[in-house]
Amino acid sequence: MPRYGIAVDTTKCIGCHACRVACQNQNGLEFKEAYNWIKQRDRGKFPAFGSEFVPVQCNHCEKAPCQRVCPTGATYTTSEGVVLVNPKTCVGCKYCMEACPYKVRIVEHHKGIVEKCRFCIELVREGGAPACVTTCPTQVRIFGDLDDPNSEISQFVAQHRAQPLRPDLDTRPKIFYRRS
Amino acid sequence: MVESAWGWLIVAYLFLAGAGSGAFIAAVACDLLAPDWSKALARAGSLAAGPLVAVGTVCLVLDLDAGLWEPWRQIYLVNNLSSMITWGVLILALFIPIALLYAAALNEITFVGRIASKYTQYLRGVGSFLAVSTAAYTGVLIAVVNGVPFWNTPLMPLLFMASAMSTGLAVAMIGAAIIDIRTIKTLSNFALGHVIFLAVEAVVLMMFIFMSLTRSTEAAMSASMLISGVLSPYFWVLVVVLGILIPFVLSIVEYYEYGEMPKSLVVGADLLVLLGGMSLRALIIFSGTPPQVV
Repeated sequence: MPRYGIAVDTTKCIGCHACRVACQNQNGLEFKEAYNWIKQRDRGKFPAFGSEFVPVQCNHCEKAPCQRVCPTGATYTTSEGVVLVNPKTCVGCKYCMEACPYKVRIVEHHKGIVEKCRFCIELVREGGAPACVTTCPTQVRIFGDLDDPNSEISQFVAQHRAQPLRPDLDTRPKIFYRRS
Repeated sequence: MVESAWGWLIVAYLFLAGAGSGAFIAAVACDLLAPDWSKALARAGSLAAGPLVAVGTVCLVLDLDAGLWEPWRQIYLVNNLSSMITWGVLILALFIPIALLYAAALNEITFVGRIASKYTQYLRGVGSFLAVSTAAYTGVLIAVVNGVPFWNTPLMPLLFMASAMSTGLAVAMIGAAIIDIRTIKTLSNFALGHVIFLAVEAVVLMMFIFMSLTRSTEAAMSASMLISGVLSPYFWVLVVVLGILIPFVLSIVEYYEYGEMPKSLVVGADLLVLLGGMSLRALIIFSGTPPQVV
């Protein structure tokens, strides 16, 4: 079984938000709803300073805190390592939203549930890649199998020593970042 | 300020569950320690406990996004024993009926009360255990959350326990004054309880704030939001001065004056304790700051 993840090259991100729009399209989200965000961070000091764009979405943690606290067991991990929410059993208690250190879950009020990035599992199972990956004009994201040493993502992570966000929180995220 | 996923309904629930379980413990303590002259207090405490926690539970259900939309989904709430909410649902489901039965037994309400009064000692024992569980669990609920470092400390349940005790005693005292205003004199005996609980609460709160200031960047951000940031006026006025200091001083005076203090001040001190307990929970929920991830 694959262990899917995404590698993000923040040095390439121009902050155009195409990933967000593609995600909204793919998942039928409304204008204000999103499963991914681009966080902007200022770095350096004058005169050597600049801005960094960091795309953030569900990290599909191997030790997912949201899954541990979910009282109904609606949040589960598939055999591909993708963390999903079962809309039939989620009651919308929002405990997972408090537990997630990355704050990437949102409430879908019209369904009465909490949702988040699903790695576009329906596209991935047909052999494709998530919408945010394929739509990106500068190819910031690389999607693939982290367990396959020859995959593009594994090579990228190894080559650039890409790290997840806040690995010290020990949730074992599966999104790796090359930071500028 | 980062918007919390939980709002006023959860704050109200945390407060009501604390006050209700505290009132139960106050009632049991009065019932056991001084059954002759604290009857009104034990009756009031037991009468308030079940309904308060039940109203709090209604707040919880209203906060569920599918709570009224597809209520049958609530059956799944007991699926995952590693979730504190599952434990909370079990504790609440047991505590509320037992608190109601205890109230029926102490107040001799209909035939239920007559039957229940035969088993008072069991209701007292099991009920006290569940009351402590309810009060502590509200703290553990938010203490096990990784997403908000400010809450992630074992002091959290301790603080909520201390607050539950003082608010519970306040509820029982107000109730006793409503049931029988003549007992207001004997209420002075319980002012000592307020002095102790408020002192413990103040010490735990102080430790919680001081330790948060050095625990992690995010916890420090939350703590400084309370002591010097946007929420500081509410923290100092509602929690520290009105919720702890003034009732603390009033309770000391009440204890030494023994029944000579004006009724309005006795009940006023209790109302202030309730205001402080509610504000404390609101401020802790709303000052929660997520980890800085980027």
